[in-house]
Amino acid sequence: MDVLIAGFGVVGQGITEAIRDKQELFVKRFGERVRIVGAFDARSLALDPSGLDPDELLQRKQSTSRVGKGEAPDDVEKLLQETAYDLLLEVTPTNIVDGGLGYKHIRTALAAGRHVATSNKGPLALRFRELTELAARNRVHLRYEASVGGAMPVINLSRELLMGEDIISLRGILNGTCNFILHRMKEEGLSFDFALREAQELGYAETDPTYDIDGVDSACKLAILANAIFDRDVTYSDVVRTGIRGITEEAITLAAEQKKVIRLIGEVSRDKLEVAPRLVPAGHPLSIGGTLNIAQMLTDLAGDITVVGRGAGRKETASALLSDLLAILKDEEARREAKCRSMT
Amino acid sequence: MKVNVDLSLMDVPGQLVGALEPISANDGNIIGVVHHHDAMVGGRIAVNVTFEVRTDKSLERIMEVWEGSNVIVVKMDAVYESYPLQYLLVGDISSREIEALTHGMESMEGVASLDIRITGSLTSGSRAAMVTGRVTRKGSLETVEQFFRQHAENGGYMLIRGLE
Repeated sequence: MDVLIAGFGVVGQGITEAIRDKQELFVKRFGERVRIVGAFDARSLALDPSGLDPDELLQRKQSTSRVGKGEAPDDVEKLLQETAYDLLLEVTPTNIVDGGLGYKHIRTALAAGRHVATSNKGPLALRFRELTELAARNRVHLRYEASVGGAMPVINLSRELLMGEDIISLRGILNGTCNFILHRMKEEGLSFDFALREAQELGYAETDPTYDIDGVDSACKLAILANAIFDRDVTYSDVVRTGIRGITEEAITLAAEQKKVIRLIGEVSRDKLEVAPRLVPAGHPLSIGGTLNIAQMLTDLAGDITVVGRGAGRKETASALLSDLLAILKDEEARREAKCRSMT
Repeated sequence: MKVNVDLSLMDVPGQLVGALEPISANDGNIIGVVHHHDAMVGGRIAVNVTFEVRTDKSLERIMEVWEGSNVIVVKMDAVYESYPLQYLLVGDISSREIEALTHGMESMEGVASLDIRITGSLTSGSRAAMVTGRVTRKGSLETVEQFFRQHAENGGYMLIRGLE
């Protein structure tokens, strides 16, 4: 399988390492190698139909901040249409205003009959239905496990292993930064501003933390889950959203007196779609601390199913992208076998 | 309706069965029986019974049977199931607003108990108020939530709900 990588930041480099390190698995399980035939970032392009050396890409990025020797493509759409590859790994930064470049990349690749696996929340939180329908029309995969919860396999778990269940509701902590801040406020008696500054110093929060603390990131993920698991047709702006900005030490203390902690909880069902701080009983699975993500699904047969994982990070997001890549390889293998059977 | 009743029975064989039979015979569902052997007064023992009946009529019929069979009803309470409510309000919440919330909740049908605990912030000037209580009907929870949501929206403060 030949892959093209759009975006070569932390996630792009992480998936490149994973592809490099998992060649033995690809060959052993599917009898083929996975080659990176192209990669581009905002400033450069690397392209080789016979396969690029992952280490060379990673070293060049580290030493020059560019993935390729060549200039960034003038016409990315043409590149995505005309280059020979099977799977686009779309890992450019999220744009929540209009989906940004990620949306254009995904749309172009799908329309050109290429599979797509992405960690980019923007296009999915804004144009989920359009993109999944485009993928279906072109008989290709659009997979997005890495867009929600990093290494926490909530989408593939619910859509594949829990296929027979009626999932009644899902509640979860979908943003590790907010969880870290709320956890530190409770455990150390810190003010919101102090805990936020600590999160920024440790690299958990951006310099402009709005996206995390106002619940935008969680709302994007919740919209994706609503569409993917509950078959709803919603966008990020349909999510009723309250962030954690106004939470005070006094609020944390009052909650603690009642043996409760405050957590930013995303909740989705057929008639609910909300991100808001909630009072969670201490010891409840959703009272989890640190930067972990957690999702708890209520199902008709199995009852509560809870999945926990690291919500972000280079390796964690690469793990989710890799699971999508393997699922596509598996499906391609099944298609080939079916074709062989029909010919004999 | 759930009923909790203290009965006084003759301490002779068959009395307890005789006291419980009318409950089942009138579509009642016995939930618990506590037999107080140590509390014997004048040859009678105390038994506490909790049961569910669908209608007042059923309860009346049970009472009639007890009356005619030497079963003395010492005390009877209707026990209603109740549901917890919990809200934490954070922000610029005036005393007048707290008063309005209290009055609004007290006048609301189905609110069985209410407690509001308030703290003030030394650093930000904002307040936090923890509202806890119980309602007697599950449907009341939605009404209460709407009430708080509306007040929080109008008052411009944050509403943090309990996780049901």
